[in-house]
Order: sequence, then structure tokens, then C-alpha cells
Amino acid sequence: MRNRVRVLVLPLLLVTAMCSHDLLMGQSISDSSGESSKLAYRSTVSEVRLVFFATDEHNRAVEELQKDDFAVVDDERVIRNFRSFTRANLIKLDVIVLMDSSGSVQPRFQQEIADVQQLISQWPWGPEDNVSVLSFGGMETRLVCSGDCRSSFTAGRVQSLPSGGATPLFDAVELATNMLIQRAQPDVWRVIILFSDGDDTISKVSLNEVLKKVLASETQIYAVDLSRPEPPSNGSAILQRIADDSGGRRIHSNDGAIGIFRSVIDDLHSARVVTYRLPNFGSDFHSIRILPTHNLKLQFRCRRGYYHRSGSAD
Amino acid sequence: MKRAFLLVFLFCSLPGLLAAQIGIYQHGTVVRMHMGECIPAGHGFMVAFGGPSTPMGPEPCPEYTLVSDNVVFVIVGKLSNSLIPLAENIDFRFHKNELAVRVDDDKHEAKFAIKEMMVRSDWDRLQRHIEEKMRDVEDHEAEVRLR
Repeated sequence: MRNRVRVLVLPLLLVTAMCSHDLLMGQSISDSSGESSKLAYRSTVSEVRLVFFATDEHNRAVEELQKDDFAVVDDERVIRNFRSFTRANLIKLDVIVLMDSSGSVQPRFQQEIADVQQLISQWPWGPEDNVSVLSFGGMETRLVCSGDCRSSFTAGRVQSLPSGGATPLFDAVELATNMLIQRAQPDVWRVIILFSDGDDTISKVSLNEVLKKVLASETQIYAVDLSRPEPPSNGSAILQRIADDSGGRRIHSNDGAIGIFRSVIDDLHSARVVTYRLPNFGSDFHSIRILPTHNLKLQFRCRRGYYHRSGSAD
Repeated sequence: MKRAFLLVFLFCSLPGLLAAQIGIYQHGTVVRMHMGECIPAGHGFMVAFGGPSTPMGPEPCPEYTLVSDNVVFVIVGKLSNSLIPLAENIDFRFHKNELAVRVDDDKHEAKFAIKEMMVRSDWDRLQRHIEEKMRDVEDHEAEVRLR
């Protein structure tokens, strides 16, 4: 009798077990497939990369600078732990020279062309560096040469373009910044050398809008001030603001092409790059300041801040 | 003449030297810094209901959060260029209702007004709370963006 029961019950148990197993497996497969359809992969850029310059009390570039000689103040937070700290010597350059050809700079326009020509011919370009020249005046910004200006820039080419009229300075800076953003690549240092008197008269964009774009693009602007040194003009103040915010410099045209050249080249040789973990939270805009940790005579220059959107640092 | 100079030098550098030798300096780390409003002379945390204040200049003054073992200070420089070196460890001491901070290895000190003081454990708890709140907001924003 016992044997008969075993014979009947065992297959029944086996079938039940197989069914329940199938049911369970089916459940688990459908569960996991349901999960996989909901899975989202999030990738966040969590690093801030900052190009900066260190000078001593005499405004000379500091040759020996160590990682613990400075701290970054990022949105009030003092950061001393850096992921990397290197010289920026080997960075490739993408340079746009912006030439003001408006009516207000016409008396100095020939000198401006000569300075740009000297700058392009004497710069120690690397094989992969890019240089473009744009001219702005009237209502437009015109392309003189793009990327290959080392060989194709001539004074005649600039002189053949229309000049005079109003000064769309901010529009021109915005256009140049957009060009640099479009061809942006890692390890390429974006630089605008802006020749102007700073006196915008007709731009569609405002100074604040253009500064925001410049900061977001990590472009450094060297403003060559074409206005008269005395009395100080509003245009000079605007050029100073543009240069300071971007981490560049304002240089007066009286320094001549050599002075301009030296300022930019000095920076090129003394620039450092520091990277650090993006602070966990904060506003969209992070202001930045670099300050010394020991020697209060050291001075540091960098862009005024960066924009942080959805986990990425611009 | 030399002696006179020596005496003057000793007189000027004695307080700092003494402070260092006696070991009354406390140690701390600056964790935050921003340019804010200057505190008029005679005001601050340590001076309650002070007298007439001197007018403030148009330039902002640096404000630091200095964290020591037991107390966290918010201190404000008297001028826009009253800077503290942002080293990992800095030395400071109380000096007539102010905080004297050693600004270099030559025992020079700079005086800062004390704006706020908080017990370290309370400050730590507050920071954790703020961080959690901010992280929640960021996570929420990220989720909204993903939808």
C-alpha cells in the first residue's frame, strides 16, 4: 500500500515542482527584464580643470610652484586636495585674433594691422596650433582667415575688407567664442586676442551675456587696448573686465606688438593646469579664486568662475 | 643708535615671539572664504552693543571660516587685503576681543574681528545636515532631468 502511494505521489510532486520552478523562473525573468527596461546609466563629469598663472610681487612669472603653495576657493570652499597639477606648456593653441576696424579706431588702424602681422609672424607656433583672424566694424564681423592665418594673413587682405562705422564688439567676441566652442577639443587652449578701444556701440548681445559665454567656453581673452591712455575711458574699463573675467590680461597698444607678444608668451610658458573634484553641490555658477597657502606675496590669475550644469563642469 | 633699533625691534616682535614660545597659539584650518561686508570697528561677536561705528569703505572684506578642534570661528578682515594664507594649519590666538592670526613664518600677525563662534560638534552636525539637504535637491533635479 505504501509503495502504491509513493508511486502516485512522487510523480505528482515532481510535476508540481517542475511547474512551480517554471513559474518562479518565469517570474524572475520577467522581473529582471522589467528592471532592465527601467535601468538608466548616468555619467557625470565631476572634475574642474583650471588654467592659471602665478606671479611674484614684481609681476614676474613664478618658475617654481608646488602643489601645496596655493589653494583654490571654489564658491567659498577652500580646496587643497588636487587631482593633478602640471605645467600647461604642451597644450595646443586655438587662437582667434579679433581686429576692431570700426570708425573709432581708424586713426590707429594701420598700426593695428602691423601689430597683428608681427604677432602672427613672430609667435612660436606649434605644428598643431590654429590661428584665425576676424575683423569687426559697421554691423558685421568678417572672417579674414581661418585656422591657417600663419601662411594666409596679409595686410592687404584686411585692408580690402570694409571698415569704419559702428563697433559691434560684444557680438564679435560672442562669434569668436562660438567658433572656438564649435571646434573645441580636450587639451586645446582657447585664446582670443582682442584689439579694440572697448567702446561697443551696436551689439545685439550685452556685456553680461557675452561674459557668461566666455566663461562657459573657458576662453582666455587678452585685450589690447587701442584707446588713449589718459584720461581713463569707459572702453578701457570694459576691456579690463572682459580680460579679468576670462583670466587674461589687458595690455595697452602703446606697449607695441612686442609688449603684447611678451605678455601672452609669458603666460603661455608660465601657465599651470590644476584639476580637482567638483564640489558636491552649489549654485550653477561657481566663482573661483586662487590664493597662496604660505607666501602672501604670490599672486594668482585665473578665470572668474565656471558654470556647472547637471553634473558637468564647463 | 644700534641699541635703540634693537630695543624697538624687540619691542615690536616680542608679543608674537612670546606667544609662540609660550605655546598659546591654537591651530585651525580655513575651510571657507568669501568677500563680504566689513565689520565696523568696535563691532563684532565679542563686543556687544558697541559705540559709534566708523564708516565702512566701498570695498568688501575677506570673511573666513576657521575650524579648530573645539570651536569654529567666522572672522572678518579689517581691510579688503587682510588675507590669511590658506595653509592646512594656521596658528591663531585671542587678542583683545579679536583673533590674531599668524600670516607667515616670520611671526607676523594680522588681527581679525570675530563675527561668529560655534561649538565644533554643532557646526559638524549643521554641515552634515546642509550637505544632505543639498544632495537631496541635486538628486531630485537629476531625476527630473532624466524624465
